[in-house]
Amino acid sequence: DTWRYAFEEALEEVQGKFAQKFKEEIEANSDHEVQLFPFGTLGESADTMEQAQAGILQFVDQSPGFTGALIPEAQVFFVPYLLPQDEETLQEFFRTSTAINEMFPELYAEQGLELLTMFPEGEVCMSTQEPVHSPADLNEVKFRVMTNPLLVESYQAFGATPTPLPWGEVYGALQTGIIQGQENPGFFLESTKMYEVTDVITCIGHNNFTTAVMANKQFYDGLPEEDQLLIQSATDAAFDYILDYQAGLQEESLQNIREAKPEMQVNILSEEERKPFMDTAVQVEEAFIDMTGERGKAILDQMKEDLEQASQATSG
Amino acid sequence: MATTIFSIMIVLLLLGFPMMIPLIIGAFVGFYSLFGGFGQMETMVQQLVAGIRPASLIAVPMFIFAADIMTRGQSAGRLIDMVMSFVGHVRGGLAVSTAAACTMFGAVSGSTQATVVAVGSPLRPRMLKAGYNDSFVLALIINSADIAFLIPPSIGMIIYGVVSGTSIAELFIAGIGPGLLILVLFSIYSMIYARRNNVPTEPKASWGDRGRAVRGALWPLGFPAIIIGGIYGGIFSPTEAAAACVLYALILEVIVFRELDLKGVYETAKSTGLITAVVFILVAAGAAFSWVISFAQIPQTILGGIGISEMGPIGVLFVISIAFFIGCMFVDPIVVILILVPIFAPVVQSTGLDPVLVGTIITLQVAIGSATPPFGCDIFTAVAVFKRPYIEVIRGTPPFIVILLGVAVALIYFPQIALFLRDLAFKG
Amino acid sequence: MSNDLDAASDATQTTATDHSDTRDDISALPGVLGTIDLAVARLEAVLLAAGVLLMAANTIANVIGRYLLGSSIFFSEELNRILIILITFAGISYAARHGRHIRMSAIYDALPPKGRRWMMVLIAAVTAICMFALAWYSFGFIKTSAGQGRLLPSLQVPVWWTLVWVPLGFTLTGIQYVLTAYKNVVEDDIYLSTNVLEGYGRDDEREV
Ligand code: NA
Ligand code: NA
Repeated sequence: DTWRYAFEEALEEVQGKFAQKFKEEIEANSDHEVQLFPFGTLGESADTMEQAQAGILQFVDQSPGFTGALIPEAQVFFVPYLLPQDEETLQEFFRTSTAINEMFPELYAEQGLELLTMFPEGEVCMSTQEPVHSPADLNEVKFRVMTNPLLVESYQAFGATPTPLPWGEVYGALQTGIIQGQENPGFFLESTKMYEVTDVITCIGHNNFTTAVMANKQFYDGLPEEDQLLIQSATDAAFDYILDYQAGLQEESLQNIREAKPEMQVNILSEEERKPFMDTAVQVEEAFIDMTGERGKAILDQMKEDLEQASQATSG
Repeated sequence: MATTIFSIMIVLLLLGFPMMIPLIIGAFVGFYSLFGGFGQMETMVQQLVAGIRPASLIAVPMFIFAADIMTRGQSAGRLIDMVMSFVGHVRGGLAVSTAAACTMFGAVSGSTQATVVAVGSPLRPRMLKAGYNDSFVLALIINSADIAFLIPPSIGMIIYGVVSGTSIAELFIAGIGPGLLILVLFSIYSMIYARRNNVPTEPKASWGDRGRAVRGALWPLGFPAIIIGGIYGGIFSPTEAAAACVLYALILEVIVFRELDLKGVYETAKSTGLITAVVFILVAAGAAFSWVISFAQIPQTILGGIGISEMGPIGVLFVISIAFFIGCMFVDPIVVILILVPIFAPVVQSTGLDPVLVGTIITLQVAIGSATPPFGCDIFTAVAVFKRPYIEVIRGTPPFIVILLGVAVALIYFPQIALFLRDLAFKG
Repeated sequence: MSNDLDAASDATQTTATDHSDTRDDISALPGVLGTIDLAVARLEAVLLAAGVLLMAANTIANVIGRYLLGSSIFFSEELNRILIILITFAGISYAARHGRHIRMSAIYDALPPKGRRWMMVLIAAVTAICMFALAWYSFGFIKTSAGQGRLLPSLQVPVWWTLVWVPLGFTLTGIQYVLTAYKNVVEDDIYLSTNVLEGYGRDDEREV
């Protein structure tokens, strides 16, 4: 059969790499063909999600943050400092988390989707015009965020002036000075050329951009067991591949940026400098619970527990 | 499937159906044959609505509104009187000014449609009055609007830059050369046209008259100040600048010049809404149709068969140009970029072509496409805004398209047209 | 009605988009139906104008908020999206009423009057069918969307609320084309729409 798979990034970006590996695995081990549809070719993120729910697409990659309109609990990934800042712990977390591997699949199933996996895409860093070492440095900085209430809350708590702006206008707005900052994972700062129009990159470890791959549930449940196993093992292979690919990707992207623009300042904030930013997390957690109620709280608590276990497993 | 769909669309088009119908039926047939029935038509509706979602489209009704207020009142007339006092005695001077105004407007707007409206609305009546033929005027306006896509900022270049991983700053600079070349060639053609058709000139204005004309235009000169100062001063995005122009136009015409009462404002807003709807339903239907093309992987199928990997760089650039030109005849330019750029990426890389050059060529083709029949947003906008029949709007376009294609070919053989400024700025 | 002089042929007229053809709405229907039709036309017109004015106000307010009050309007973009859907779908039926939809009419123009009249019947009938089909499927789309419970991130209102004008607009447009087909069948003149007679032969009336 021909299976169709849409994702939110370009073919050579992280989601595209994952999809290519998935396609390669499926096609090597079966007669099925996988067609890949990168960002924008079948509509925006919300469109491809609906198409997957309608069964037109068999597979779709959508980041939980964008799923928030459908599954509010998925916005937990916007709560700052919830995910491990250290790479080894992060990978352990994604492999073992009960919240991710058991609780989220149920929420996605309610929307007719089989959650295949979630994986990290890289640490989100800020790119600004002036160096940022503390929340005070973000004062009066108009900072572009996606129109998500939790992101707005976060950047308000960080001291910035969150400013919504359509993605297509961000580059120009940084160039002319309507806004003075935006955030994205390292590879995206590189591929979208945000470094061309900003002077400083600051990593404060507040978030790692997470994405999720899912299948249409009716399609998945209707498959013979061998095909389900095929999809599972292709997903596992692509997951391992993407974690390997991830290792060092952030440094590589930042290095490429430094080469393309030698005067670029890249600041990785120290533990001590991060402290005031980390203190704001409580406020955003409360906003998250206000929005999502009991179910959201249960996910948040479980994720904290999973995090605890992951850091014990990697430190011990 | 593709052949059937395109044939049906062309026939319906020629029979005189409203242009949304060929697109809608094309999409209907596509969905029906892709999914073996009417089971997935809701996705077609989804894409119809998605087509009019991009935030950048908001600039279109805003510029239509502002331009309409200005032309109904005194602002536009005063601005043009000023220009005429300087160029009225030159044969073809007004046509050259129109092309130049499109170029200047392009420096603040990435939208060719907004350029058609903002420059065309005030200047077209004056050109007709000056004795130019309407088909020349319409063609000049929609084709000069192409320049806006090449002169930064350009939404096409931003999207190409992101999809292909090319420096957007370099693309922006590379667009200036071809943009100015087109302006020069259009200006030469306009002057030849004016001479051939004996477009009358006005007596040369004295410096006293010019001074009076400038004074009369002082208030309306606030428009370029708002747009250029506002955007480059970091106050507005281009869309917001359009809305600010609406506010300023209302202040001028309602309070300062007292040309428009509230009833007039209401009528203007209604007329703006009507024009917007007529154009946007085509954008929406086009999006649904584009989705079918993309989902059925039609470009991949067609391009897979022509053996592009054996061609040299020049051959590859020609194939790319032709593919984008044909694609944009039927499908929304942005979608064409999103679909075709990844398909061509490997061969661009293996032939060692400069991605900035490729991006400039693609942007030019996409701009040409939006003014090329049958489906072109600039044409639709001109039909709706100027209320002229479709055929008449495109009647005068051939010479302009020949010039544009000439520039496209020149760009392939003399890449320095685009790369000269880029090398000066980045490789110095 | 398109008996106003065209902006192009009358060079002294400087309005870009004269609107005299849409100032007075008339109905093709008799009696109560006509009254309802007229009320709908009035409503469409008001929505069009209000949509455009609100869009301008909303966009400007966002700038003012950002600079003077130090905080953006977070729902500004969402509101503009809602308005653009409203304008487009309230506008297509209004445009159908006034025969303003864009067409390219190469073969049509070459036909004799009688042929053009029956061609117009066919065009209007097929267009009406397409509009009703789209109305039906957009109604289905809204139902699906409502079932999924998707919310707009900032306004926190259900997405399907923003779409209600879509099936309504298609339905009203379909009705206009049915009436156009009917008028062309029963009358000898050629009607581009219920309100607009095809002013053939006089170039300045050949509107789109
Ligand atoms: Na531009
Ligand atoms: Na075109």
